[in-house]
Amino acid sequence: MGRYIIRRLLQAIPLLFLLSVFMFTLIHLMPGGPDQVIFNPHLTPAARAAMRARFGLDDPVPIQYLKWLSRALVGDFGFSFATNLPVSYIIGQRFPATLQLFVPALLLALVLALFLGVISAVRQGTVTDYALTTVSYFGIAMPVFLFGVFAQYIFGVWLHVLPTSGMQTLGYQLDPFDAFIDHLQHLILPMCVLSILFIAGWSRYMRSSMIEVVKQDYMRTARAKGVGPVRLLIRHALRNAVIPLITVVALDFGTVAGGATITEGVFAWPGMGLLFFQSLQARDYPVLLAMLMISSVFVIGFNLIADILYAVMDPRIRYS
Amino acid sequence: MDISDQLNLTSTTEEEIEPFLEVTPALVQKRRSQARIIFDRFMRNKAAIAGAIFLILMFAFCFLGPTITGHNKPDLTHVTNVNDTLAGPSWQYPFGTDDVGRDTMARAMVGGQTSLIIGLASMFMAIVFGVGIGSFAGYYGGIIDNILMRFTDVILAVPFYLLLFVLSATFTNGSPLSVIILIAAFGWTYTARLVRGEFLALREREYVLAARTIGAKNLSIMFRHILPNAAGPIIVSATLLVGTNIITESVLSFFGFGIQPPAASWGSMIELGDNMIDVDPWLVFIPGMLIFLTVLSFNLVGDGLRDALDPYMTER
Repeated sequence: MGRYIIRRLLQAIPLLFLLSVFMFTLIHLMPGGPDQVIFNPHLTPAARAAMRARFGLDDPVPIQYLKWLSRALVGDFGFSFATNLPVSYIIGQRFPATLQLFVPALLLALVLALFLGVISAVRQGTVTDYALTTVSYFGIAMPVFLFGVFAQYIFGVWLHVLPTSGMQTLGYQLDPFDAFIDHLQHLILPMCVLSILFIAGWSRYMRSSMIEVVKQDYMRTARAKGVGPVRLLIRHALRNAVIPLITVVALDFGTVAGGATITEGVFAWPGMGLLFFQSLQARDYPVLLAMLMISSVFVIGFNLIADILYAVMDPRIRYS
Repeated sequence: MDISDQLNLTSTTEEEIEPFLEVTPALVQKRRSQARIIFDRFMRNKAAIAGAIFLILMFAFCFLGPTITGHNKPDLTHVTNVNDTLAGPSWQYPFGTDDVGRDTMARAMVGGQTSLIIGLASMFMAIVFGVGIGSFAGYYGGIIDNILMRFTDVILAVPFYLLLFVLSATFTNGSPLSVIILIAAFGWTYTARLVRGEFLALREREYVLAARTIGAKNLSIMFRHILPNAAGPIIVSATLLVGTNIITESVLSFFGFGIQPPAASWGSMIELGDNMIDVDPWLVFIPGMLIFLTVLSFNLVGDGLRDALDPYMTER
């Protein structure tokens, strides 16, 4: 098992290199550069040339890549073109906001998907099952941003109970408790919208996994030995049915660094996703590159975690 | 009378079958072609039929609608008459008008044409590419498989939407064709994996060995023998892919990266309407529901096809 992990980690390294080359090329193919978007339009040509040299924009692209790589390997992603702050500082500032949104959304989705999937499976074929399956179909067919826009309308405009964007109400200086409540009010809508998509997909997965498990012989044996229905469900069925779901959850968890982009865009939540949009607009290459690399590292890392978890939870799986 | 008579083990000749059939005509089953069997199984799935009917209606609405109903001016604005802007549903404008007086129904139809064409065309491109890569990887195995799957892994490791946003900033110029190529360029990975799995399994079958024995070339075996047998899951994933691509296109257009306003596509209509949602929610609601119902129908049809093509389901 340990050798498997080491082998996967070693395989990940060339993958990350390839990815960095790929993304560096992509970003530099974008039309326009920071000098069209960010630089002061009143700069004299000489000053402009000096600024370009300072940002290293005049070097040939491979040289720029090597310079970037040599610093990135030690964790220094450079300075943002737009704000001149260190990139790691900017990302570090925005990441907690994304985590605040993503982690509760995922946990809520996990609990609800488990619950709904089990109910749907246990009551397979009944009205409850059909209703829940229909709802999950709806959840899959609706794009996230659309759901967000509808939610903004229903709760923000029509019912007027929740704020529709941002992280806190501007212009007021609230005392800590009220500020906390205000923060929560801003968090609820984006968090629920983000969960719905996951719940729809995961509950279907959980349902089919549960149905498969219930058909197994050991379930029949346990029931024949007199195990009560609740204990049967939780101790025998759920434990085994949950295994494939956990791996899917781990994979979806890996999208944390880039996955909330759409939701953050719709709700103007100041996290990594919004940072991505702003940097894309401003052609802020260092920030874009750092974000793409970090998201890829997360995805690859959580892929590995998902595989390891699967092997840990299911003793029949053994990697060479 | 020997034992074979008593056990009714006489050889079956036509003379002995026919009287049996005359006595029990209810047991006679007309021989159905494979396509007919699949069709019948699909028809038993009510949800799939509903989805298919809705899709037919939606295609008729988008492509035939402008000519039939006369709402064929999606860009004609009526700013002269203030009452005509941001209007609710009326007899003349069944879906209302937007902030500069354009007919929302005409825009919904023309936008639907754009969205549906983008969804279908990108699906075809992605399927062709995915089948190409998956078939070579699955059939040849070994190093070719390794390289192709590495390539697929690189594409998969980057978060889909981030990559799409960056690329659309680079490559698209607002034309549907660029959006199609963009969506197809990164949507083929699932199909490639699927096809690879199918080819890996199917290349061990006897008919492949037989074909090889009579001297069939590798390419011929791949595409004339194995591919038709792998067609089922490919068709299912193709149908689901259309729905996914329509969603992807609407996300791109919503954030300003795909079809730019005022060109109509369901996503760009939602983007325009989002700014005025407190005044006229219909502008968002109508294209939104159209996207939702179309994707839902594609999903239902895809699931119906999956159940109809599944060889392990007992014949009902």
